[in-house]
Amino acid sequence: MIGRVRSRTSRSGIGIITIALPLTMFVILSFTASSFFTAQNLGNVGNQITALLIVSLGQLIVAVSGGVDLSVGSMLSLTSAIIVTFDPAIVIPLAIAAGCVLGAVNGLGVAVFGVHPLVMTLATATFVQGLTLLVSPVPGGVVAPAIEALAHGRLFGLQPSLYWCTAAILLCWLLLSRSAFGLRLYALGANPRNASLNGVKVVGPIIACYVLCSLAAVAAGIFLTARVSTGDPTIGAAFGLDSITAIALGGVQLSGGVGSVPGVILGVVTLGLATNGMNLLGVSPFLRMAATGLLLLGAVSLQRRKTIGV
Amino acid sequence: MSDTAERSRGLRLLNMATALPIAYAGTLILLLCAYMFRPALLSPLLLLLIIRQAAPLGLAVIGQSLCMRILSIDLSFGGVAMGVSYILTSGYIPGGEGALIACALLFGAMVGLANAFFIVRLRASSVIVTLAMGLLLTGIVIAFSQFRAPGDAPALLKYIGQSRVSGVPLAPLIWLALLIPIAWFLKRSVLGHYIDAIGANPRAALATGIPYGGIVVLVHVASSLFAVFSAFLLVGFVGMGSLDIGRDLALNSLAAVILGGVTFGSGRGGVLGPAVAAFMLTFLFNLLTSFGLGEPSKLMLQGAIIAVAAIAYSARTKT
Amino acid sequence: MTHSAGLEDRASGMKAGRELVRFEGVTKRFGANVALSDVSLTGLSGSVHAVTGENGAGKSTLMNLLAGVHQPSAGSIFLDGQPVVLDGPRAAHRAGVSTVYQELTLLPNLTAAENLYLGREPRRLGLVDRAAMRREARRVFSRLDMDLDPDTYCGDLTIAQQQMVEIAKGVAVEARVFIFDEPTAALNGPEIEKLERLILSLKRDGKLVFYISHRLDEIFRFCDTISVMKDGSHVATRPASELTRDMLVSLMVGRSLDRFFPHRGETGPDAVTAIDVRDLVPVEAAAPVSFALRRGEILGLTGLEGQGQREIIRAVAGQIAPVAGEVLRHARDGTSARLTPSPVAVARAGVGFVPEDRKSEGLFLPLAIERNIGVGMMRRSSIWSRARIDRNRLTGLLDSMNVRATGPRQEVQALSGGNQQKVLIGRWLAAGVDILLVEEPTRGVDVGAKSEIYMLLRAFADDGGAVLMTSSELSEHIGLCDRILVVREGRLVAEMPGAAATEETIMSSALTGAPFQSHAGAAA
Repeated sequence: MIGRVRSRTSRSGIGIITIALPLTMFVILSFTASSFFTAQNLGNVGNQITALLIVSLGQLIVAVSGGVDLSVGSMLSLTSAIIVTFDPAIVIPLAIAAGCVLGAVNGLGVAVFGVHPLVMTLATATFVQGLTLLVSPVPGGVVAPAIEALAHGRLFGLQPSLYWCTAAILLCWLLLSRSAFGLRLYALGANPRNASLNGVKVVGPIIACYVLCSLAAVAAGIFLTARVSTGDPTIGAAFGLDSITAIALGGVQLSGGVGSVPGVILGVVTLGLATNGMNLLGVSPFLRMAATGLLLLGAVSLQRRKTIGV
Repeated sequence: MSDTAERSRGLRLLNMATALPIAYAGTLILLLCAYMFRPALLSPLLLLLIIRQAAPLGLAVIGQSLCMRILSIDLSFGGVAMGVSYILTSGYIPGGEGALIACALLFGAMVGLANAFFIVRLRASSVIVTLAMGLLLTGIVIAFSQFRAPGDAPALLKYIGQSRVSGVPLAPLIWLALLIPIAWFLKRSVLGHYIDAIGANPRAALATGIPYGGIVVLVHVASSLFAVFSAFLLVGFVGMGSLDIGRDLALNSLAAVILGGVTFGSGRGGVLGPAVAAFMLTFLFNLLTSFGLGEPSKLMLQGAIIAVAAIAYSARTKT
Repeated sequence: MTHSAGLEDRASGMKAGRELVRFEGVTKRFGANVALSDVSLTGLSGSVHAVTGENGAGKSTLMNLLAGVHQPSAGSIFLDGQPVVLDGPRAAHRAGVSTVYQELTLLPNLTAAENLYLGREPRRLGLVDRAAMRREARRVFSRLDMDLDPDTYCGDLTIAQQQMVEIAKGVAVEARVFIFDEPTAALNGPEIEKLERLILSLKRDGKLVFYISHRLDEIFRFCDTISVMKDGSHVATRPASELTRDMLVSLMVGRSLDRFFPHRGETGPDAVTAIDVRDLVPVEAAAPVSFALRRGEILGLTGLEGQGQREIIRAVAGQIAPVAGEVLRHARDGTSARLTPSPVAVARAGVGFVPEDRKSEGLFLPLAIERNIGVGMMRRSSIWSRARIDRNRLTGLLDSMNVRATGPRQEVQALSGGNQQKVLIGRWLAAGVDILLVEEPTRGVDVGAKSEIYMLLRAFADDGGAVLMTSSELSEHIGLCDRILVVREGRLVAEMPGAAATEETIMSSALTGAPFQSHAGAAA
């Protein structure tokens, strides 16, 4: 049998839809919402999507290796609760430690015990949400000025969100596209058996992925809490599904091996513009929730899978 | 040869240990705890109330256990419950109680079909599809309720939810009335046998000529219908529509099913195991509340239970 | 490559180099099954060394020991005179052994250069040095005379190109020994020539290339030395120049059939047809196949491994949707209908399919015997109806099949291979089908159970049933089948009555598509 030459493969996952969506949104909103194309609104959009971008980049790392992490939202909330509850000097190390523990637990469950990532991270998400409510039952609390400054005040005239975004994008890009670790993640996501036959370890890298993802959620939590200057134990609730929607819209295949930072940026922009647009057009926040659900269904239909079920 | 024999002996022991649903032992332990620290909970009046409270969860658990047996899952219960509650009480839909109830059932069936479409036709992950569906429905209902608040529940449901038959609340009797025939049906029917086969080995089921796809669709529709029944009871309890209905239903049903000995692909706990687990969880939450522990501990426990049970069951099947 | 150059290489065969690989008294057991028995074999540097033999002769097992996939139960392996312990594929890589399997291990979403260096990426400042990776890849490719852009994703390469990248992996790590397992299965003419050039350039570099193949033309074209394995033993190793095709075939076969087979069926020419296969094209680019399966007969589809038998039987069974053609099923009552290619329809139509991998595709291991068999009994019932498992019929069936179990409630996963296979076949017997499509009826089954299963199939056929089977054991076809169809590259190349078939005649058609010439006669 003669081998057929296949169509161009790439592992960025960026296709026509990935690029067309944000562009179309941009164009539509420019015409339908009067206050869209203003410096202030665009600045707002930038701020709003920073946290989502950071979380989604973490989600990307896990997705490339073939997994998914639903606990990012709860981790974000936990970070927020920690920041307003404990001594400001230790909150950031504490949050980071919590993120490492959560990531390690997720990674162990998935890589060592073979639990399905969705079930494992759903369980930890619930647990962490409970823990968050224990730490800080109601919204409120004071954020230390030192931490607040991380998201306010300009540096060289540029918004802090720009720095956060740039740092996250740079780090993630270096990790995934330029390091050996990233290359091996792509291999693991595409075919764990073949990757392992080629000398790639399986357990260690996967645990590392989940730890990195939780740490991304912690970083986003620090930014967001500093931004709103107060604590909120449910601030992260939507981020779990939102980050999955964003990466799916950005061409990332949840089965692993395909996805890239530019794609995620596009996906986050799409989701961000959709939310912003609904805000400007006065759409009820609850219909926004419904729209996210719809977008997720649409995004997940673009995925290619073989199994039926979980 | 010898180490496979050893492995299968160890496996059989692990099998036996995890085969007895934790729910039975767990319920006993909880009742003991109550006896020691909160004996008031063991009064017949309160016990009956707790059983009544467990009935909606019990119904949802039936649907969830069916899904898990065929390696799927349904996390859209919250959205379905909200939708049903709104249909019944908002007054948007004209017609008598009969029409409202029929509408609610139709709504449930359509959600089930929609879920099944994404899961079977598009092969999307059940977890994500049903979560998204739940989100979609919740968002729509809350948005609509800004225009028209939920109102009074239909009288029939209030009657079902709140009345008693010689001292025993009606709701759990209805639960039992559905539970027993279903248990019987699953044990005796061709469909029940096929479900067991699919759970044991989907590839073999397909190769042997079992109508795999069709059964998945059926199970998801059934699951959504059970969520509808569950919502009927919940609305009946409260007496009016509420935006808080069924929020915990999805996760609690997942925990109860696993505690009851049913897990992905295995129906070992039967139908009784998850039912007992539904009671156990409800009792546990009441016990926690009586100790002054609230929502946070509930969540932490749910999460811990699901994680530990999933690990235990994965370890078992991982020869 | 001209023929004369080939002859030169062949002549210098055994004298070419020093000993590079030596198997000494190697035995390999898998449980009670002895796959290799006291094998001693030597491979020299600068040689292309064919390892050949029938299905199950042990050639793949032997090479897997060298590739580190398994470890010998007894005996030792020497590389360059030093004893080595290859306890995993990575150890084999480090020792300088590179294997190119039929199932390639490239990652489609990585480029050729990345695949080459996966696991040992060149670094610069902690990050992957892509420029160096590209440069090195280009160097390796050009050394192998490969015209390939290192930045192409492997998912975009043809199978031939993917194979070349696999070979390049070995060259890049300076492997000394290469193992090729059926490398030309997916290649066309010009690609095979390219492969030939590659292999000869490896030989020129002093490497040892082990070449596992069934294709005699290639063996005689590329290889200077040929080793023959049979039933787990090493039969002979000769320079290719000293052997002819027929001599080779004779070395590979010829054993006494010491298994107990039932009598043959008596289907005369007026036998009723049960299934008519018309111009069936099972998969893309396959040849159309036509044959008839008659009542009362056991028909075998045989040939070398992977020649298309599996695709044909699965297409008939509706497990894969054929590209073209149709399958007509003639019922006992005289009606005929087209068999829709779906497992549900085929089962409803009274045709039972027994897959080769009973554990992953056939049985419901955690369920009881009665459930596994019961599922077949229900094939015609509506899913809403009561599940009727006739317990008497069930126990009667289990008794008649001599299934050793503690009872119908025992879980199938606790049974032995032979008993599991009986349960699987029993599912269809209990279902009352009259046509059986069986893949590998006695794979992983001990001798006693094998005999019982043959009896089962014979009784089924004698009762008016029809059996179509594939098997990689020639002796089974010869002993059991009434009629044998030989498949080669998807085509039916020969048909012979079972009673008259011998291993030589079957192998000859299977290898060459031509009838067997006894070795006293004309050379190929």
